Amino acid sequence: MMQFSEIPPLHQIPPFSIPTMNKNQIHRARPWPGFPTSKGLGSFGDANCMEQLLVHCANAIESNDATLAQQILWVLNNIAPPDGDSNQRLTCAFLRALIVRAAKSGTCKMLAAMANAHCNLSIDIHTFSVIELASFVDLTPWHRFGFTAANAAILEAVEGYSVIHIVDLSLTHCMQIPTLIDAIASRLEGPPLVKLTVAGGATEDVPPMLDLSYEELGSKLINFARSRNVVLEFRAIPSTYADGFSSLIEQLRVQHLVYAESGEALVINCHMMLHYLPEETLPPLSNVNSNPYSFEPSSTQSLRAMFLKALRGLDPTVVVLVDEDADFTSNNLVCRLRAAFNYLWIPYDTVDTFLPQGSKQRQWYEADICWKIENVIAHEGLQRVERLEPKSRWVQRMRNAGFRGVSFGEEAISEVKTMLDEHAAGWGLKKEEDDLVLTWKGHNVVFATAWLPA
Amino acid sequence: MPVEVDNSSTVSGDASVSSTGNQNPPPKSAVKKKRNLPGMPDPDAEVIALSPTTLLATNRFVCEICNKGFQRDQNLQLHRRGHNLPWKLRQRSSKEVKKRVYVCPEPTCVHHDPSRALGDLTGIKKHFCRKHGEKKWKCDKCSKKYAVQSDWKAHSKICGTREYKCDCGTVFSRRDSFITHRAFCDALAVESAKTQTNPSSESDPKVQAADSSPRRSPPAAPPPVSAPSAITSSDIRIQSSDPRTVVEEAPTPAPAPAPPPAGLNGSSSSSVSLVSSGCSSSSSSSSVFSSLFTSTTVSASIHPPQPLAPAPPLVGLNGSCSGSVSLVSSGASSSSSSGVFASLFASSTVSASIQPPQPPALTNLIQADLAPSTSIEPISLCLSTSHGSSIFGTTGQERRQHAPPLQPAMSATALLQKAAQMGAAASNASLLRGLGIVSSSAPQENLQWGQAQVDPDNASIAAGLGLGLPCDGSSGLKELMMGTPVFGPKQTTLDFLGLGVAAGGNPNASLSALITSIGGGFDATTAAASFRGGDYTSKDIGRSS
Repeated sequence: MMQFSEIPPLHQIPPFSIPTMNKNQIHRARPWPGFPTSKGLGSFGDANCMEQLLVHCANAIESNDATLAQQILWVLNNIAPPDGDSNQRLTCAFLRALIVRAAKSGTCKMLAAMANAHCNLSIDIHTFSVIELASFVDLTPWHRFGFTAANAAILEAVEGYSVIHIVDLSLTHCMQIPTLIDAIASRLEGPPLVKLTVAGGATEDVPPMLDLSYEELGSKLINFARSRNVVLEFRAIPSTYADGFSSLIEQLRVQHLVYAESGEALVINCHMMLHYLPEETLPPLSNVNSNPYSFEPSSTQSLRAMFLKALRGLDPTVVVLVDEDADFTSNNLVCRLRAAFNYLWIPYDTVDTFLPQGSKQRQWYEADICWKIENVIAHEGLQRVERLEPKSRWVQRMRNAGFRGVSFGEEAISEVKTMLDEHAAGWGLKKEEDDLVLTWKGHNVVFATAWLPA
Repeated sequence: MPVEVDNSSTVSGDASVSSTGNQNPPPKSAVKKKRNLPGMPDPDAEVIALSPTTLLATNRFVCEICNKGFQRDQNLQLHRRGHNLPWKLRQRSSKEVKKRVYVCPEPTCVHHDPSRALGDLTGIKKHFCRKHGEKKWKCDKCSKKYAVQSDWKAHSKICGTREYKCDCGTVFSRRDSFITHRAFCDALAVESAKTQTNPSSESDPKVQAADSSPRRSPPAAPPPVSAPSAITSSDIRIQSSDPRTVVEEAPTPAPAPAPPPAGLNGSSSSSVSLVSSGCSSSSSSSSVFSSLFTSTTVSASIHPPQPLAPAPPLVGLNGSCSGSVSLVSSGASSSSSSGVFASLFASSTVSASIQPPQPPALTNLIQADLAPSTSIEPISLCLSTSHGSSIFGTTGQERRQHAPPLQPAMSATALLQKAAQMGAAASNASLLRGLGIVSSSAPQENLQWGQAQVDPDNASIAAGLGLGLPCDGSSGLKELMMGTPVFGPKQTTLDFLGLGVAAGGNPNASLSALITSIGGGFDATTAAASFRGGDYTSKDIGRSS
């Protein structure tokens, strides 16, 4: 039941005052010269302001204050149309997520209030065909950056091996593999035997969704490899992040025992997949033995930590870890919301610069991000799977697990740079110690790290 | 911070307006000259810091006589000549011109530090514009922006010129996008079908999974085997490979690494080379087969496995099979009669699954028969590797370890004999696997390469083959037998075997037994026995049809 027929004057909104919303308070830097800033609806259009409103709304929902929540939602609904500029669309997605959250966890009053929010709460997630996915991952360097850096590191590490076993744990359903095979095929000493193992069905409920089965995907890859004179063996082992990929690890362990002496290079390529592994902020399962890896003693560590240790136990030739540089693990909703808001504006902004408004690809792209936002904001516990951690924490985890970082060579860096050159001008590359970081307008987006057993 | 000096006066000779970092530590005085890294200047060089205005000024060199400005010192000198200056004044000062390096005036820039100064004035100008300047130049084709005009020009020249075109018609300007697209594009399958007789080096033969377009050339070979689906269609495609590269590999046996995979690898590569070499000379293709790879490459292929003692079976397997495999994979272009067989064992995965004795024998046998049909028929027995699922059949992994070792350096005859001996022992139906027939029993729970999913898929594959195989790899032969029907009716099978009409009249006893057994219920032992009988040896090999 709507209590207000028009937007209430700001000063009437109880009980706190919405912080100054004048444009002068812009602390969100858009340092890149020449790039348009968000065109706003007056003072409401500021991203900062939107963030504040979202934060207040989240607080209201958490404290079950239906009235306040509804008011703020109403405001947000008006200032952030789903077809506005990138900030508005971003805010709209958060708005949606907050509503979903409220609807799930709120009181009756809250639910009633939400009912008024007349939003279409369903997200239309597109299921990609393999060709669509191939062009989708190339829209921005978001994934291509990690692919390029990882391929270069992998190639360097497997030099001289005649058998290369690649374990591809990637959100992008093997989109990295063709270029990797191509690079392997053109190396001087002749193409090796390549074995590719993937975790089948690991992300079947996480976008991007693929409409092809892994068998078919594998067959295409094998065909392609053959066209490059590379012998490829493909294997998809059903495994999921929920249990730390235990079935995959088991398989790899057996393989390792068999092939340990055989001079086979084991490459673990992790591309935006590991952040789905439950970590310390997720309370452990109630099972007595929380260690899914039957071959190891029971442990009190999180699945994420145990998985990395298990990787170390496989004695891999190289491990490449590429993931998004943000922190979504806080148990506090407001912290998470801030973190997500201050990170996920980036994909909206990047897609804004080169894809026109009505383009289907843009819709798909934003729908996928919307899904992630909903997951971070509206879900809790095991359902909240987007558990991004910043690079520093991953680096620490890898070190704790017994790996040492190795830097990317000059060639890798120049390849990445060349690749970035072919995209819009806002993308940049940063080198932080051993690691490479993709930046958009100076902000960290994705990091790429390479590891060897210490 | 280096003192910023506005250096708008001439630079020639005099006036090193150098702010040689009086307040900064001097540039590295290391003895080594690090010239190769950009921004690591000669330690003795003079550091010059120009203000942005000066840097971007277009006419820095001014003639003292008439105050005309020039962009370059050389131009200025040329101009000064025209003033007819007396000799003395004309010359530059005699002292050695010190090497100058320049720092970027932007304080936050890494090149602002004298130790990272750039040696070239033009370089620092461009750097400053590119990094810290406004991008005024825009490419109209791709909307990339540039701050330096020469960059923009250079880009415009190549923008859109370097294009990658997929057969499906999509055009890409970036190679990585092109490659990723191509890998998954259905056009790859179509192309592979088309290029099977075409020895184009870049052809991408592809046994297309679901592509059963039988338009394959010469023989009406069964449609290609689609990987995931049952191998109903068995269009063996000889994939063309780049002969050169492949051949080179042949002589290099898989060395040290030795383990089975290595062995496999080695042999496969040799086999690949085999094929390719076969490709290059059509005659050799038949010879390849007739001699059962007795050519050096053959032995080469067989050899490499040798050193890989650890996994003899595999190795051996590779030796012989790889030949076939390579045939397929390397896509001997036209001379692919051998390809038929190669395709038989086609998938590269074959190497994995093919067990030494059995397949080779059979292959040899068949090849022998094939020999005559030199007319290249790029047989369409394509066993797509993808079918690998079967290849990697459940037992694949295990088999590898257990297959009997293969003797080194076998001649074709020896191989056949050995195969005979091995009889059905080999079991691992490498061939069968190759045909994508998977044993439904999945003893190896997950040690299956290429077997993406579990039994349901196997079952379907087997069903697709119309065999309802009772799985288990008791006999590779058996599986082979069972598998062959897949390739069509007997007549077709004959074609597949390269026997054709000509050969029809003179089927080798064991071979015919083989074939008949395929048609009817098949008894592995019988087949094995017939093989063991060894009556296929020279007769088969020598058979010409």
